[in-house]
Order: sequence, then structure tokens, then C-alpha cells
Amino acid sequence: MPGTLLNLKHWRLEIDDENIAWAILDQAGESANTFGIETTTELGQIVSAVEDAARRNEARALIFLSGKENSFVAGADIREFDNLTREKDIEDAIRQVTAMFDRIEAMPIPVIVGIHGFCLGGGLEFAMACHYRIATRDDATRLGLPEVKLGLIPGFNGTVRWIELSGPLAAMPNMLTGKMLRPTAARAIGLVDQLVPGKLELRWACRKAALQRRKSKGAAWWKRLLSYPPFRGILASRMRQETAKKVREEHYPAPFKLIELFERFGGDRRRMAMAEMRYFTPLMVSETSRNLRRVFRLSEMLKNEAPKGGPKPQRAHVIGAGTMGGDIAAWCVISGMEVSLQDVSQDAVEKALGRAKSLFKKRLRGNLEVNTAMARLHADVKGNHIARADVVIEAIVEKLDIKQKVLSATESKMKPGALLATNTSSLPIEQIAEGLADPGRLIGVHFFNPVPQMPLVEVVRGPDSREDVVRQGCSFVTAIGKFPLITKSTAGFLVNRVLGPYMFAAMERVEEGQPKEKIDAAAAKFGMPMGPIELADTVGLDICAHVAEVLGKPAPEDSQLARLVASGKFGKKTGSGFYNWVNGKPEKEKAEYDEAELDRLGQDLIKPLIDECEKCLAEGVVADADHVDAGVIFGTGFAPFRGGPLHYRKSQEQETKPASAPHAAATATAAAE
Amino acid sequence: MMGQLRRVAVIGGIRTPFCRSNTAFAELSNLDLMTAALNGLVEKCHLEGELIDEVVGGAVVTHSKDFNLTREAVIATELDRRTPGVTLSQACGTSLQAALGSAAKIATGQIDCAIATGSDTTSDAPIVVQKKLAQRLVRLSQAKSFSEKARIFMKGFSPSELAPVAPNVAEPRTGLSMGQHTELMAQRFHISRDAQDQLAYESHRKAAKAYDEGFFDDLIVPTAGVFRDNNLRTDIDRTKMSTLKPAFEKSERGTLTAANSTPLTDGASAVLLASEEWADQHGLRPLAYLTHGQHAAIDFVNGEGLLMAPTIAVSRMLDKAGLTLQDFDFYEIHEAFAAQVLATLQAWESPDYCREVLGKDHPLGSIDRDKLNVKGSSIAVGHPFAATGGRILATLAKILAENGGGRGLISICTAGGMGVAAILEGASPAQHAVH
Repeated sequence: MPGTLLNLKHWRLEIDDENIAWAILDQAGESANTFGIETTTELGQIVSAVEDAARRNEARALIFLSGKENSFVAGADIREFDNLTREKDIEDAIRQVTAMFDRIEAMPIPVIVGIHGFCLGGGLEFAMACHYRIATRDDATRLGLPEVKLGLIPGFNGTVRWIELSGPLAAMPNMLTGKMLRPTAARAIGLVDQLVPGKLELRWACRKAALQRRKSKGAAWWKRLLSYPPFRGILASRMRQETAKKVREEHYPAPFKLIELFERFGGDRRRMAMAEMRYFTPLMVSETSRNLRRVFRLSEMLKNEAPKGGPKPQRAHVIGAGTMGGDIAAWCVISGMEVSLQDVSQDAVEKALGRAKSLFKKRLRGNLEVNTAMARLHADVKGNHIARADVVIEAIVEKLDIKQKVLSATESKMKPGALLATNTSSLPIEQIAEGLADPGRLIGVHFFNPVPQMPLVEVVRGPDSREDVVRQGCSFVTAIGKFPLITKSTAGFLVNRVLGPYMFAAMERVEEGQPKEKIDAAAAKFGMPMGPIELADTVGLDICAHVAEVLGKPAPEDSQLARLVASGKFGKKTGSGFYNWVNGKPEKEKAEYDEAELDRLGQDLIKPLIDECEKCLAEGVVADADHVDAGVIFGTGFAPFRGGPLHYRKSQEQETKPASAPHAAATATAAAE
Repeated sequence: MMGQLRRVAVIGGIRTPFCRSNTAFAELSNLDLMTAALNGLVEKCHLEGELIDEVVGGAVVTHSKDFNLTREAVIATELDRRTPGVTLSQACGTSLQAALGSAAKIATGQIDCAIATGSDTTSDAPIVVQKKLAQRLVRLSQAKSFSEKARIFMKGFSPSELAPVAPNVAEPRTGLSMGQHTELMAQRFHISRDAQDQLAYESHRKAAKAYDEGFFDDLIVPTAGVFRDNNLRTDIDRTKMSTLKPAFEKSERGTLTAANSTPLTDGASAVLLASEEWADQHGLRPLAYLTHGQHAAIDFVNGEGLLMAPTIAVSRMLDKAGLTLQDFDFYEIHEAFAAQVLATLQAWESPDYCREVLGKDHPLGSIDRDKLNVKGSSIAVGHPFAATGGRILATLAKILAENGGGRGLISICTAGGMGVAAILEGASPAQHAVH
């Protein structure tokens, strides 16, 4: 019988005149759909209702669509899992969902799913349980299982189904890296069966597929064959090698667990599905995953610093075509903005344009995109474009009087409401603002080198900076795909300030004769992306010396740092510093160190950093402890699986007090001890 | 219905950047471009979910699948999906003609608001099969048995049938390209190479200046990562222009070059027109009023200059408006070719031409060249055929608004020996009576 069935909060289920059942997910009160207890419970009701209707011959097909503008299902609602600390509760929750997905798969009538927008994690696992998948070619559409990024593996039998659809050779690497695929890439590996141009065509393509009873064919036989010996073992060891190049198993066990799952059970649908849960659950309660989920929440927290809605900035004007200015300009162009770049000489600008072009070639697809990007980047020696810019960023030499002069000359040409920001790393915003007619309009936007790789930008609030301007700064930072961290205008802001004591203490150890290789190895073992000495060389020793001055602790004249700087050995960029650099890699002496000793040294190395974090918190450099952690993770790469420096210290302290250890799983951290 | 005519307000217009063919928009279709322009207009004038009485426009170089181009574009926009779309074409005059038709309906009260639009891309040109092959394929599809199919397929087949037919922009009756026709006009009116180069040079200079001043910032919606017209030469070199070889008449008599002609261009435009009441109700301020429109055609088959029809359209329109050619503060004469503009101006100055072709006792006279195409025109920004009318309407309306009023003349030549003209009156302060 045509009409609406059931009365649901998040879903709409109706059977139309052709006896096609349409189930539309439009989660109440959310901008994106997720699978939580409420949405999946209702999905269970839908499955039952349609099963009944199919039995009575009143439904000939079931079609799933999203009612959201640009989102299919963004994943399982992780927040709900945070409340489940007992493995058994998690398993019960999972079993309900996987059993329902199995029923969808076993439905006697065709089950078609139309995908537009993000289809991730649990959303994709659901889509894979349907019989036929149609996606839009729209740029908003992305498919993937990013669970490993949260320290997990897929838990709703996504591992089994994706391997069946694409074969392990295509499915496994995508799960291991958590990659989000564009529609054409998803089509190419059989993850979706059909593409349509856009949302308008989606429901009609689904109808046609339903009437024609289309069914996904799955991976070709020779692709499936790779799930069986001897190929399975070869593939697994190869994937393990590749994964180990990127992460350490002790820090990030999830991808290794996924490989093990495939190696032991690949090709056996029933056993692998059951084993998936046994592998999934311990990861879900592990400290690593909790911390990685915390990092995800911290990134969301930073993004939310920007006010919602409002026009996106379209045009930026960057003054200063040095490394920093040029890279900021190029990055803004990559983010889709039109950018004018100003410097005193055409030569300086031309050089920056050349660097920008090589960045575009690396980051963009094809000549068309590179040429289009180059056309968005204008050399503007005279500053003709200042009046058109929505954002003006100053990135010139760190000299107060010059900055003041340039900024006041710029301010008078700017249009009202445009953002004015300085990329200073060492001068107080309020002093730079002194020459302005409206000192309240200046903020700092402190980028990190290399701009394309570093996700954090410090948005510096001077004592006079207006709140709306600070928020406008955050909007700009999120518009170019970075995380804004609001900091006070104090020496070194947050990131350089906490890095300073950490790096200088490590350098002192080198002065004392400890091998720099050992220091770097200990920090890497702790989970830092690279050790402090290698980091100093990478950042540039001249910059390090400058930061030391800014922080009020200049390097002593007889220190190794001072000597190296004096002799023009700035590290990676000059080919030698603490290390000799060959082909962009430091030459390190091979040596074996005692693991326990490295662990102890790692703790000692990181202590000054955490101490400084506590001081920053006490002084209110950023809003709260979460902001300290977020800033240090995204600004320095501080071991994400440890959840941030302050969070780490807190969990360490809790651990040493055995009476107050509510999380039995917190012991997982002890692996590093 | 036939009471007092209402004034027709130009609320605003926008366009995609214009890109030389097979460059930045190589992967976009007319539908993509027109949709981008319409969505740009929606955003600019806050028309989300708005039901517009009609969207009218089209494209010159189209695929047969685009038979309903304008309506298809409307469906893909943020407008109310119940907005009707009319696809029409008058070659390069398409979007201006669309505006004139809708303006007449607004004036009489038949509708309250409309969008005129136009799009063109020669990057996504319709390449078709030869007639012989097409007929063979049709017969093939009707054949019942395999042997019948085989017979149809083989009979008289020659591989040359498989060569695709690319579209060309030549006049079907004469087989001459636009450039060749214009070269003939340049010869007849003795338009020198130097004068053409100078006009083209000034077009680039004026457009570049307007860019730097941000004049185009709210007239262009960034599309596919492109923010500005890529034909524009900010560093144009006047001496280098004069070294270029003629493009159409290759002998030393030739005067038209790549630099003083428009290139093939991709892009789209859209302009919102409305009654004053509608604008008021929607909190929108008219930039200008569209007061007169006129089109005309010329018998080029018997030897008249192909692109001279605007001289007739303008002359007739002036008569009806009771104005002289000199009664304008701004002139927007579409630069299909510099020679076309110069021949038009010369014709109006010529007593013979005005008497013989326009039937006038006195010549229309000359215009103040400082008022001509003050923000540059098609030679600088490019010319996606059907989009140009919308570009000029939006540009002139903004010029008048910034000027605080005044009167502007639009003249556009089209293929097929036609011309479309219009008059815009500034919205303030002085108001001229509507006829």
C-alpha cells in the first residue's frame, strides 16, 4: 500500500505508487547524519517493516537516500562509544548493527543506496551491505573507512565487505591509510557500481536500478583470489612493511591489527566477520584510540573558533615575498583564493611565484589546475590590489619600525571590514599596531614552516585587538583549511614558547656529550615526529637562535648553537648544522640503544616541554588545557596517541596513584614505560 | 494590460570570468557555465529559493542535447525549481535580445521579474558525424535482421564518412568567416590597421585599469578556480601589436589581426530585470532602467557589410526615443572586431551611408570617443557569443550607477547580419521619461 510507514524521528519510510520503498535518513537536530543508537534502532524498524512488505508483495525494492544537503552518513557516532567502557557492552552494541546489516544484505528484494556527500566509516559499511551503490560525481562526495585514524579498525564488517567488493589489493591499503576516495576512484575499484552527475539525477538512477533489479557484481575472480594462500601471506607481509615505514606498532597498533585480521581470516567471510569484532573491541577501549578520538575532538574544537556562516574571504594580499610570505600566498591560492603578492622588488616576487608553481605542481592535479592556480596569484609590487583584498597579511622582516610604517600605509588603502594581520613571530601585536589609525583591527596570524604541511595557525590577540577581528581571523584560517588557535600576545605565543625549553635542553645534553642520535631516537620513540636536534636543524638554527632571544634566553656565545650559527651552518637549508644533511636527510651514526633507557630519556626530554605548557596554562596564553594540548599537538606534532602534553601528564599522574584508576585500559599507556 | 507602461529596472548582473577556448574552462559545458552565472546572480541578489517569472537565454554553439539549456540550468540552481526557462538564440545578441523580450513583458505587467542569460563555449563544441553516416546509422537502427543490418552497413560505405564534422563559425550563406567579412568592411570604410590596433590597445588598458580598481569584483563570480578573464593583457605592448601578421586577409591589404579581433571564448552571464515594485518588495535597488530596445538586420547576402546592422538598429531606436546619437554619457559598442566598431562609427559620420542605408538627410554624426567602452570591451575581456549582451548590460548598469545617473547606448552586432541595440537610463538622480 503506497503511503508513509512507521512514525520515525530520524528516518522517513514511504512506499510509492510503483511499490518501491524509500527510506530517507534526515537525522533530527544535526547538519550531518551519523549512525548512533537512535538512528540504527529506527533503521532496524525500517528493515523489519520492509521485510514484511516484501513478504506481502507490497514492496518490490528498497532505496536508501539521505535527506541532508551534502552528507550521506559521516560515520558511526563515536561519542556513544565513549560511554561504553566494558568490552561486552561494545560487543552487544556492534552485534545489533551487524545483524541488521546482514538482514539488509539478505533482503529478498533489491536494496539500492544513493550516495551524495560524505559516506564514511559506519555509513560506508552500511552502504556496502546494500545490493547496489550509486554515487554522485559531486565534489562533496567522499567514501572511505577512516577508522585507523582514530586508532580503530572498521567494526561493522566493513573489512569483509570491502575486500569482497574490491579485492584485498585495492581495499586493504585504503583501509590502512583511512583514505577518503573521490567518486571516480571509488567507482574504479568497484566500491560503487554507478556514478551520476549530481544530486538531481540520484533518485531517478536509484529507481531505475531498483526496477531493473541491479546487483553489484563484486570483485573479479582474480582479485578475490588474492585473499587466499599463498597471495594472502605475501600481501600481508608487504602491507606490514609499508605500514611500518609510516608508524610504529607500539604507538599505533590499529593498522597492524587490521593486517593480522586479514592474514588470519581473509577469504573466510563468516570467520573474518566474527574475528573483526574481537579485534575491534580492545582497540575501542584502548588508551591510544581514546586519545586519537580526543585529538579529533580537539581539531573540531579549534575549527569551531570560527563563527558559522558568513561570507568566505575571496581575496588575500600578502606583503613580503620571503619564504613565509610566499608560502602563505601560495597556500591561500591552493585553498581557492585569489592572491596578490607584494614586495619591494619584482625579482623577489618572481622568485616566490616560481616556488609557488612547484608547490602547485605537487599539490594540484594536472596542468589545467596548475595554470588556473598560477592565474590566481598576481605579482603586485605597487600594492594595487590592497583595496580589493578581504584579508591583508604582512610577512616582512621582523623590525618594528618597518612593520609599523608598512602597516599604516597599507591600512589607509584597505576596504572597510577587511582583515589586517601580521605574521610576526616575535614582536608584540600592540606595538606593531601603534602606528595604525585603528589599532584594534590588527591581529597576528602566526604560520609555521613549512606552511603546506603544518595544520596550525596561531591567531594572536593583542591587548587592543577587537574580538570580532579575532573571530574573523579564525574564519580566514579555517577557510584555508588550517586550525586556528587563539593565543595571547606574549613572547613565543604558545608553540615556540613550549618548543624552546624542550629544544634548548636537548641541545644542552649534546653540549654535555650525549650522542645527538640517541636523543633524537628517544624522542621519536616517545612519539614525536622527529627528535629535537633534527627538528632544530630542520627549522633552521638561525631561527632557533632568534627564538631563544625572543624567549629571553639567548644562546651563550660559546654554545654549539651559537658557534654553528656564527659559521653559517643553519642546518638542513645550508647542508649542515648539528647533522650533515645529504639529499634532505640527516646523516646519523648507527647505534643500538637500550630500549628502557630510551624510554627514560624520552620522558626526561619531554619534561621541560610539559612544564612550560603548565606555565602557559597558568598564564592564560590560551583559553584552557584542551587548547594547550590542541596547540601543541597540531603545532609541534606532539605524539597524538598520547592525547596532548597536559592530558598525558594527567593520565601519568593518575596511573601512579593506583587507587584512582577507573580506566583499567589506561594501563595500555604503560607500554611506553 | 494596456494601461501605463511600467519602468523596467536593471537590478544587477554577473558573469563567470571569460576564458579563451580550451584553457581554464576546457572541461565545462554550456550548462555548467550558465548554471555558474545564474548561481552567482542568485548569491549576489539573494534570490535563494525565489520564483523568478522567467529565465530567458541561450547559447550559440550548442549540442542537440541542450535543446532546453536555460531550463536545465535553472533546475541546477538555487532558484525555486518551478522557475520556467526559455531557450532562445540571436547569435551574439542572444542575452540582450532575451533582456529586451522580458523587459517588454515587465513593462506591460505580464511578468514582474526575469533573468536574461547567455552562455557559450567553443571548448565543448558539438562535433557531429557527416550527414551520410548519420543517415546510415538511422537506417541501421531501424533494420530488423542481421543480414539487413550488414547490408546497410556495407553498402557504398567509404571510410571518409567517418570523419567528424567540426562546427565552424563561418556564415552559412557566404562561407566567409566573421573575420573575412569584417575585413571586407574595413576595406570599404578604409579602416586602417593602426586605428584598429589603437582601439584594441585601449580596450585592454581600460579593462586592466578597471580590474585594478576592483570595478569587476562584484560583476564576476569566480568559477572553477578562475577569478579573472584570461584574455586580458595587463602588459599589452602597442609596438608588438603592430608586428602581428594579418589573420584573415593574408596579403599586405589585410588589417585584422589576432590582437584587434576577439578570440574564441568560454563564459556565461546573467542579468536580473524587474519592475520597481518587485525590486522594492525584495529590498533591491535598481542600478539603471532599460528604456528602449531595437533590433535590425541587413541584406549582407547582396553585399552589404555583414556586421553593419547595428547602425540601422541604433538609428531607428534614436528616432523612436527622440534622441540624437550625441545624447549619451556612455557608449557600449561590442568589439567583435576593432574594425567593426570603427566602421560603425564611420558609417554614422558618413552623409552618404546615412542617406542611402539609414534614409537620413543628415548624418548621425560622431561621438565623444572618451565615452566609448570606458571599462574596455570584448577585445580585452573576450567574447563568449551569447554571454556578451549580459556582460554589457551589467557593466553599463554599474557604470551608470557609479556615475550617479546618465544615459548609455548599447550596440551589438551578430552573425547573420543582425544588430541589437538598447538604451539604459541611470536610476538617479535625474529621471528621463519612459516612452
